[in-house]
Amino acid sequence: MEPIIHIENIHKHFGKVHALRGVGLDVHKGEVVVIIGPSGSGKSTLLRCINHLEKYDVGRIVVDGIHLDSAQNINAVRQEVGMVFQLFNLFAHLTVVENLTLAQRTVRKRSKDESEKIALDLLEKVGIPDKAQAYPIQLSGGQQQRVAIARALAMNPKVMLFDEPTSALDPEMIKEVLDVMLALAKEGMTMVVVSHEMGFARAAANRMILLDEGVIVEEATPDKFLTSSNERTRLFLSKVLHM
Amino acid sequence: MDEQPKLRPSGSKLAYIPGAEVIGRIDPWWGLVVLVIGIMVILFTVRADPFWNIAVFVGDGILVTILITVSSFALTLVVGLIGGLGRLARNPFLHGIATLYVEIVRGIPLLVQLIWWYFAFPTVVQQIGEWLNISVIANYQANPIFTAIMGITVCYGAYMSEIYRAGIQSIPKGQTEAARSLGMTHFQSMRHVIIPQAVRVVLPPVGNELIALLKDSCLVSVVAVADLTRRGREFMAVHFNPIEVWTMVALIYLVMTLLLARLVAWIEKRSHFER
Repeated sequence: MEPIIHIENIHKHFGKVHALRGVGLDVHKGEVVVIIGPSGSGKSTLLRCINHLEKYDVGRIVVDGIHLDSAQNINAVRQEVGMVFQLFNLFAHLTVVENLTLAQRTVRKRSKDESEKIALDLLEKVGIPDKAQAYPIQLSGGQQQRVAIARALAMNPKVMLFDEPTSALDPEMIKEVLDVMLALAKEGMTMVVVSHEMGFARAAANRMILLDEGVIVEEATPDKFLTSSNERTRLFLSKVLHM
Repeated sequence: MDEQPKLRPSGSKLAYIPGAEVIGRIDPWWGLVVLVIGIMVILFTVRADPFWNIAVFVGDGILVTILITVSSFALTLVVGLIGGLGRLARNPFLHGIATLYVEIVRGIPLLVQLIWWYFAFPTVVQQIGEWLNISVIANYQANPIFTAIMGITVCYGAYMSEIYRAGIQSIPKGQTEAARSLGMTHFQSMRHVIIPQAVRVVLPPVGNELIALLKDSCLVSVVAVADLTRRGREFMAVHFNPIEVWTMVALIYLVMTLLLARLVAWIEKRSHFER
């Protein structure tokens, strides 16, 4: 079966820093892939290459049969790929429901009524239907991140990318966001998640990947990954698991 | 049975302070407007000649000043947006043009620019017309008010470009990234996400520009525009009473700028939002 995300030999430089050094990865429909790695290892960069928020210098990425090689294709891919950011990035001047309807109306060309209905259903799903008329500033971090997930889902994406979705949250809010992500994984959403939440990885991931200095060090199922004999994997896991 | 006194208006989130609602709603700086108008009224009553006569004489000049201020400011908002977007453009040609415009215009005094547009520009146009052999262009004559509005717009448009640029740059990059990740085009994310937020950020400096523009509009009096300042000078040329004339003109400008300042404060308050 064709993978929904095909990444081939990606290289990326930031000035003199060689951030990604020939990364290749295939993600199949319905898979949940969790990427971990030390800061500066290139994991966010790799994720951002998938919807071309970051340009890569060398290599090939094909998402759902669309090759990321022209402006039209990039916009076409972005419509199929939802992204959730570390700092939520909700539109500060719009209410929650307007955050959810803006792209539906401008990109998907849905009517006001239709997009609002979809928005309210999704807010129900992420557990905050009562905040539809609130502004982002009036919400807690966990609520903002759940709105951000709903905003991405409103576009009916085939793939969801999560860039450290819980690392800017207070500890007591992490669970409410992870619960939404877990439910999404159970529904069969294809997800690529950059996160050090091992509990989530254990519960939801089909595969885990350790990225270090721009290369994939290890790639395995959570069971194998967490009991890996690879020196670098064990060293890194010992740090994130506080063992 | 003691009854709870009904002091707090229902639905108000503000802490209750006795009398605060009444005073709080009225901007105390209105007092200054009232004071200045009061002084003018006293001058009119105590010495109608010359003060009232001056005010009547310069009346049409006030209208010209308002006309020039309002039209140049409206045009400046458009030119500034285009210039600001140009300054931010990744296309090196657009960026270069916008930067060149800002750098040149910022470096020349407004008075010199106005004189150039009025006295030099028509000759340049005429010579081009003769060279191209088109009589309409060859016979071009400068219209004072049109030239004044154009001159001020070109100058203030450059300042406004920089204000817009700074305002757009002040919006966090994540806002653009979120919009683009949802499939919105560059234009859509600018139009629906970045510019609406930037407008709120730039309101205070833009308001300052409006007030500065009103005051700088007096420079057009040197290029044959019968604005408030020029009408004042014409009155003085006949009656030789500089103290009365220039006090009156100064007070009229002051009332206009103070009123504008109130307007700007009101708009700012209404469009305030937290991020």
